[in-house]
Amino acid sequence: MKPKDYRSELEPVWCTACGAFGVLKAITQALTDLEVPPEKLAMVSGIGCTSRLPGYTNAYSFNSLHGRSLPIATGLKVARPDMRTLVVGGDGDGFSIGLGHIFHAAKRNVDLTYIVLDNGVYGLTKGQASPTTETKFKQRRGLAGPDEAPLNPVMLLLASGCGFVARGHAGNLPHLRTVIREAIQYPAFSFVHVLAGCVTYQKPEYADEIYHRCDVLPENFPNDDFIAASEAARGERFSLGVIYKKSPGEPLPDGSVTDDDDMGIWRGIQVS
Amino acid sequence: MSTSKPAAHHPPGPTVRRGDPDSAVVSLVGSGGEGAALFGELILSMAARQGLYGVMVQSYGPQIRGGESASLVRVSRREVCHEGEETDLLICFRTPDMGRFRGFIRLHEGSVVTLDSKDTGDLPEWVGTAGVHTYRFPFTNIVDGHEVAGDPKNMLALGLACRYLGWDADLGRHELRQRFGNRPALLSKDLDAFDRGYGSQDMPTMPHLQGSGRNLHIETGNEAVARGAMQAGLRFFAGYPITPSSEILETLIDELPGHGGSVVQAEDEISALGMVLGASFGGVKAMTATSGPGLSLMTEMMGLSAKSEIPAVIVDCQRAGPATGMPSRTEQSDLNHALYSGHGDLPRVVMGVMDVVHARDIMHKAFSISEGYQVPVLVLSDAYIAQRHQIRDEVPPPPAQVNRSVWREDGPTRFNLDTADGVVPFRVPGTPGGQYLAAGIEQTPAGTPSADTTIHALMGEKRWRKMDAIAEHTESWFRVLGKPGATRGIIAWGSNYGLLCEWVKAHPEYRAFVPEILMPFPIKGLEEWRKGLGWTGALELAHTGQFYKYLKTLTDVEGTRSLKRSGGLPLSMVDLDRLIRQAD
Ligand SMILES: Cc1ncc(C[n+]2csc(CCOP(=O)(O)OP(=O)(O)O)c2C)c(N)n1
Ligand SMILES: [Mg+2]
Repeated sequence: MKPKDYRSELEPVWCTACGAFGVLKAITQALTDLEVPPEKLAMVSGIGCTSRLPGYTNAYSFNSLHGRSLPIATGLKVARPDMRTLVVGGDGDGFSIGLGHIFHAAKRNVDLTYIVLDNGVYGLTKGQASPTTETKFKQRRGLAGPDEAPLNPVMLLLASGCGFVARGHAGNLPHLRTVIREAIQYPAFSFVHVLAGCVTYQKPEYADEIYHRCDVLPENFPNDDFIAASEAARGERFSLGVIYKKSPGEPLPDGSVTDDDDMGIWRGIQVS
Repeated sequence: MSTSKPAAHHPPGPTVRRGDPDSAVVSLVGSGGEGAALFGELILSMAARQGLYGVMVQSYGPQIRGGESASLVRVSRREVCHEGEETDLLICFRTPDMGRFRGFIRLHEGSVVTLDSKDTGDLPEWVGTAGVHTYRFPFTNIVDGHEVAGDPKNMLALGLACRYLGWDADLGRHELRQRFGNRPALLSKDLDAFDRGYGSQDMPTMPHLQGSGRNLHIETGNEAVARGAMQAGLRFFAGYPITPSSEILETLIDELPGHGGSVVQAEDEISALGMVLGASFGGVKAMTATSGPGLSLMTEMMGLSAKSEIPAVIVDCQRAGPATGMPSRTEQSDLNHALYSGHGDLPRVVMGVMDVVHARDIMHKAFSISEGYQVPVLVLSDAYIAQRHQIRDEVPPPPAQVNRSVWREDGPTRFNLDTADGVVPFRVPGTPGGQYLAAGIEQTPAGTPSADTTIHALMGEKRWRKMDAIAEHTESWFRVLGKPGATRGIIAWGSNYGLLCEWVKAHPEYRAFVPEILMPFPIKGLEEWRKGLGWTGALELAHTGQFYKYLKTLTDVEGTRSLKRSGGLPLSMVDLDRLIRQAD
């Protein structure tokens, strides 16, 4: 199947040049790469501009309630493990109203692929501050929380024990395609943070400016090393690629296997 | 009835009369950790082994563990779903502990009270002390003026109660072996205590209650809800613990995987119902259970179920009060929330559980409506039913399951308007060609998101057409009690059914109407039943008369009295008598 075969007949109701177009394209490309039959594909979202995305895919799609995509997808996947289940949404949907669900989804580790399109703003409700809106932007626009530093979603997901944490940019499609493909292939809960622009409520140059702050991780980046992953998640710049990928049950260098029960969410993390 | 089968090894003490010749009520009042609940469970289990029916209820404070606690068991030759009005045997380890149980325990003139020999206090007068026969027993072990650990008090009490009931000592010993056979040290201690209690020569006894000899079945309301749901085809459950509903979650964690289903303990009630909708979107029968605070959190998601036409069964074990209220105590005050909560015109079905036996049956009906019409169904239970242990006949084989009508190739669009009962075949994920968009947003018949006002009107009308079809389907879903010719009538719902069974027996001038389904209401049945009635009252356990006010919206209830009181304790016959007098 071609990427366009994963599209429904609906024309996206997004502003011209919205970052969501790139995400939709990358998802359909990754699905083509993986040859997922549409009837075995489920796309679940919450509410927001981004959350319209499932309606534009040829899948069993569910555009649910603001912030509640993960519980719905969890129920579906537990009841119907045969369904390949992708979850998509915005930064407000995921990191504000729905934040509490993320850690539980990571802890439960049900095989969902959670893709958040982060445009650093509440697009649908006309430009209010989101949990990832940058401080300077809030100050300049007179938005709420001018003194509140934005959340770092990748850091949050790493801390939650999520076994697959990646980042892409909606403007770098070939890269985003591979990242999403790898996330779908990961046999447990996976998270992809996608940086994107909102052409209406961010500055027009926002997507490009953000991209200039991105560094694509090198091929040999040790993404099985939690400490390296944490380093890559820190700071002003954005690492792109698979930042952390834990191989469940893989023996440690000394030949022992981590005791999952004792280490709780920190399993697999070596503390020196 | 063969009366006295005297206890085999001991000459009987004085024989006393009891209130109801068919049943006996035994109450134990103790402190947390003294095993009042275990005592009640063991008595009930012994009754079930002999083919006697019965009900056991408990009472404890907000802390659930610790503090005073009491259990009350009624055993009976006929099937009962009420714990009885008066206690025949009260065992109380410390008279000051009685304070908390006002209204829970009442005595009659033939009651026997067993107190600790060391206890110099008196029973409070409200319990009805006139004419009671008091017996003293050394429960506490005092050494040098201090209480030290001695025989387990609840086992002493069990021996005493067994003797009082005229049951053979071997019945009790067998029960204890069954229960504690795997813990020999504990068992031998318990057996010694039981024998000591049973051996107290001058403990009064009552005429032996003869059961049928068939081995009957004990279940709590929450277990019955869980098992009824499984029989109805439940394969996915998600819930968040909350008193008094948690045992539904716990029972399903134990039993649902064996039926090929899954259980998820969700992070909150929003996600619990979200998961249920996800599973049900997947074509799997799914349910959640909660209490008032959780139901409040589920409200938005319930609207999603109604709009996206994804079936969901939601059980609400009502407790008393707004906010946290009184978690372990019962009330019928979630009715308004169940009937009216949620934004937008959202159709939902509301049903009321009457007792433990009914709990299994109603789950079949709930699933048949939810699956058949693709709507959310709320099943209202309450703390009184949820936590009660009740003896029932063996469970009959489940009726045939009703399944969702399922879309096949070339079937209609997902939200096709051209449907008489509002129902369109459900597209189960995995079916080739059935891909569609389920959504909270309004949609055209083909599923395209739409803000067209005509579409919205048509879709709303279609969704509500289901309620008309359901009303027709369920018009006989009610029960009537009492003799048809009775001229005084009581309309009630839910757990007041148990009390009304007793009430109409004691007062043949009354008959009662109890709907099984509250929304849509079996109104034709009510109107038919009302014919020929003089005095009529609407009974409920809610301060604001929610049920009465709801009836007003359905029919002319001019002249019908509102019989209501705030919850906590279930209504008793004394309460009902008082409410009727006050209303006149
Ligand atoms: C319970 C609830 N609260 C608020 C809203 C209003 N609302 C809809 S989308 C949204 C924020 C969207 O932001 P984001 O998730 O970042 O999506 P974007 O539009 O930026 O893609 C809000 C606040 C709602 N639909 N439901
Ligand atoms: Mg956003």
